Amino acid sequence: MSLSEETKKFLCVSCPVGCLLKVTVQGKEVLSVADNGCPLGVKYAQNEVVNPVRTFTSTVRAVGASLPVCPVRSRTPLPLSKVGDVTRELAMTEAAAPISIGQVIIKDVCGTGTDIIASRSLGKR
Amino acid sequence: MSDISGVREIDVAVIGGGPAGIAAAAAARKEGAERVVVFERDWEAGGILQQCIHPGFGLHMFGEELTGPEYMDRYLKQAKDAGVEFALNTMVFQMDPPVEADGRRAASFWVMNPQTGIEHVRAKAVVLAMGCRERPAGALGLAGSRPAGVYTAGTAQRFVNMEGYMPGKKVVIMGTGDIGLIMARRMVLEGAEVVAVFEIMPWVSGLRRNIAQCLDDFGIPYYLEHSVCELHGKDRLEGISVAEIGKDRKPIDGTLRFIGCDTLLLAVGLIPENELSRMAGIELDPSTNGPVVNELLQTSAECVFAAGNVVVVYDLVDFVSEAGERAGSSAALYALGKLDTGRREFAIETTPNIRVVSPQKLCGERDTTVFLRVAEPVEGRCKLWAEPGIFSQTLRYARPGEMNEVKISAQKLRELPGDVKSVKIGLEAF
Amino acid sequence: MQGRVKENGNFDVIVIGCGIVGATIARELSRYTLKAAVLEKASDIPFGASRANSSMIHGGFDDEPGSAKAKFCPKGNRMYHALYEELDFKLRKFGSYVCAKGESEERHLKKLYEQGKANGTIGMEIVSGQKLREKEPHTAPDITAALWCESGAIVNNFEATLAFIDNARQNGVSLYMETAVDGILSDESRSSVRGVSTNRGNFYAPVIINASGVYADVISRMAGDDSFIIHPTKGEYFIFDRVAGDLVTSFLFSCPSKLGKGITVTHTADDNLLIGPTSVQQTDRDNRNTTPEGLDDTFDGARRLVPGIPRNMAITTFSGVRANSNTGDFYIKALDRPRGFVNVAGIKSPGFTSAPAIAWHVTELIRENLGDVVKFEKDPAFVPERKHIPRFADLGMEERQRLASSDPKWGQIVCRCESVTEAQVVEAIRRGARTVAAVKLWVRPGTGRCQGGFCSPRVVEILARELGVSPLEITRHGGKSHMLTSKTKELLLPGKPL
Repeated sequence: MSLSEETKKFLCVSCPVGCLLKVTVQGKEVLSVADNGCPLGVKYAQNEVVNPVRTFTSTVRAVGASLPVCPVRSRTPLPLSKVGDVTRELAMTEAAAPISIGQVIIKDVCGTGTDIIASRSLGKR
Repeated sequence: MSDISGVREIDVAVIGGGPAGIAAAAAARKEGAERVVVFERDWEAGGILQQCIHPGFGLHMFGEELTGPEYMDRYLKQAKDAGVEFALNTMVFQMDPPVEADGRRAASFWVMNPQTGIEHVRAKAVVLAMGCRERPAGALGLAGSRPAGVYTAGTAQRFVNMEGYMPGKKVVIMGTGDIGLIMARRMVLEGAEVVAVFEIMPWVSGLRRNIAQCLDDFGIPYYLEHSVCELHGKDRLEGISVAEIGKDRKPIDGTLRFIGCDTLLLAVGLIPENELSRMAGIELDPSTNGPVVNELLQTSAECVFAAGNVVVVYDLVDFVSEAGERAGSSAALYALGKLDTGRREFAIETTPNIRVVSPQKLCGERDTTVFLRVAEPVEGRCKLWAEPGIFSQTLRYARPGEMNEVKISAQKLRELPGDVKSVKIGLEAF
Repeated sequence: MQGRVKENGNFDVIVIGCGIVGATIARELSRYTLKAAVLEKASDIPFGASRANSSMIHGGFDDEPGSAKAKFCPKGNRMYHALYEELDFKLRKFGSYVCAKGESEERHLKKLYEQGKANGTIGMEIVSGQKLREKEPHTAPDITAALWCESGAIVNNFEATLAFIDNARQNGVSLYMETAVDGILSDESRSSVRGVSTNRGNFYAPVIINASGVYADVISRMAGDDSFIIHPTKGEYFIFDRVAGDLVTSFLFSCPSKLGKGITVTHTADDNLLIGPTSVQQTDRDNRNTTPEGLDDTFDGARRLVPGIPRNMAITTFSGVRANSNTGDFYIKALDRPRGFVNVAGIKSPGFTSAPAIAWHVTELIRENLGDVVKFEKDPAFVPERKHIPRFADLGMEERQRLASSDPKWGQIVCRCESVTEAQVVEAIRRGARTVAAVKLWVRPGTGRCQGGFCSPRVVEILARELGVSPLEITRHGGKSHMLTSKTKELLLPGKPL
């Protein structure tokens, strides 16, 4: 059975320009990308069709630190479908001061293959 | 404790330790200024980026997507390596009009720190980098009661991202400014419900990618030409009334409906923070609400420079840093007595569909980018130009939410006939 | 201040309501050795009409000679000119103009002038429109004449109300917040009052003063008196950024109409621009909602006086509900039955101005008529002077430095718009502020152009620290008006759906 071609529109979030991509797909295969301002758009379109990913940011509770919470991020983009799991995982996570920027807070979070790392340093209170 | 009859003399003072200020200070040192001090009222430098924990910063400057704190971390390292001094937890609370010192004008102001008290500072040059503040709920003239639970998006952002508290559980957002969109996602990621986002204008005022990644990703609906009109609830907010807005910008009869929520976050505009600029007596531009500057980012007072959102509210922090670097380097040169402000001055004139423009003047000393914002969206191809014969570019569209850039070559300006006193910038649809 | 009142609920005089009327009466009573209590329903002072008004100390030309208003207003005006220094609240002698457009309004100015003379108003003069515009260049070009009144002044109405009750407390008066009267206790024959019942238990006293503003008729009916009715009358206002404050340097009235003094435009005691109020009768006593029509009317009315007012410089809007009595005048009366109950009702404009004179009058009234149940002995320990919390923004550099070096909290600015330090907030809390709104009324954080955007997280933090509670318990204005709803992450813990 052959899948029919269809045209989808994605708003690329790779950079602040926000190109509205015109993407022709067949099943999970991207046939062409138009209206992209740069090559990032092609990669973004391919991801959106197969498995949309986003850079994830939030906070974790910081124990004994100069602030009660420490901002964190995923080292690399992680699947959008995993965001719910990751937020719940973070809700149960604490980091003890001192915390340094880039420090791994959760390794391979929820089996996504990427780490949650601190995005700022926090000294002891 | 310091003695207020004494004066602390420095070369370049930078007021505000956010992205503009840090970049300005580092650049001032690199340009050769000796004593460069950043005065920051918070206990840590970083400014608003401390609470902007989301990604989206630095693509332009560093070629990768950083969060606010990460972006600041890189700049802070540069500034510290460059030998910038930081006066933290130190508020500049009074600014005098420029004074005469060594035959030139210098900046004079007063700072206060809980540990060291009040100090009088004189700087050969000053860079204003106080950033901007949010338009408050009161400014909207909302009808109804005055319950708890109505916050500007930035205040809520501070509570959530830095203090670890939730301002509410069921949220409506008014305005599509970027902070509002970012906070919509942030509240969802903290388990709150975001009911809807409303925008009074027929277009989104933030970046479109924030609609995609902050609203669409989480199924949060947004409605253009809608406005929150009334607040309900005696103690805590219990709901809002929202109406469709007509072409006259007034609510359309019969469209008012109630939406239950315990929190209203407002992202309805940013205003440059110019208390100190006013005290210094420098000229302000009513359309940007910031100082009038030339491409050196020099204000109407020759020893006062300004950069970042205190001058004009930018879309991207990268541009703020760039402006900071330019202002810092100009301030250092002025402090060293080496700033050439050129022999000519060009006023920038604009066509009526351009709402803000910055800088407002040019002296032909540096290649520069003039930033502008259109008053209303132009959907479709249009031409952006600067006359006489300075710049021309075809754009795919122009929208108020995204600044446009006009590149100006100093060389071209200098070559203009002597009777040319202004540069006209315009935008027209094909 | 929570919980039920215990055995010590016995007083000589109970004042219901801590608006400007209750506060000034409390301060008058505190000159004597008697035991007085003030019961206030709200969490913040001032709360009702004393909070939301034009903050004008009127000259007294507006009221018909012979009325209670005409009697108390000029006297109150003179008292304020001495009291503001004694009690240290902000009063600024800007003067006022009533602006007339055309002949018929000019005739009205003459009537006001004559009235003022009869009432004892000080410093009046009718000036030409041109003369007005020399002093107030932004006023409308079609204003043909104006009645100048030199004794017209502007107060910070929050500070003034707080000053009276603060001084009363220093001199021994008890203040009970969040205490709502729900009944008047009298002896079995209902011939004399014994006290009041409240949400926090009974308070006993042989003299009850009803200064409950828009609720005065309700409270009076609890005592069995229905001789007057309060018609709550709403007025809506805008406050503008200080930058717009300089549009005028005094207090500008429109020519008065039957509805009231009309929309006014004022340079406030704190240098903002204030415009309002509208005047709309309503049945609801607590409805302080602003309305689109009311705000538009306020703005349009103000622009008739000062056409250049920029709406986009508004920093907030509010409304107040005035206690308008059906008697058309202040209604001040001691009941014969039950004896000991005194109504001080219908104190609408010029109520704020009149309050100190009313307070003196009410105290004399009680002394003369109820001297058998309450002993009036001058308290030798009475201290008439009282200091407000130092206003950092208004201090000279040396005084600022002296304070900043005495305590680091004086060196820590909490509110940048109004230059309020942490020490001021801490002191406001020490003097009784328990909510974000109360702190704002005391020392102004959140009244500036960012409207609390910057300072509210800090004020919440300081309140929590000083009161020894979690920030989650801090309210905006009492009741369930909590500023924050939970810690982050709590909504995500197991069992909570995402």
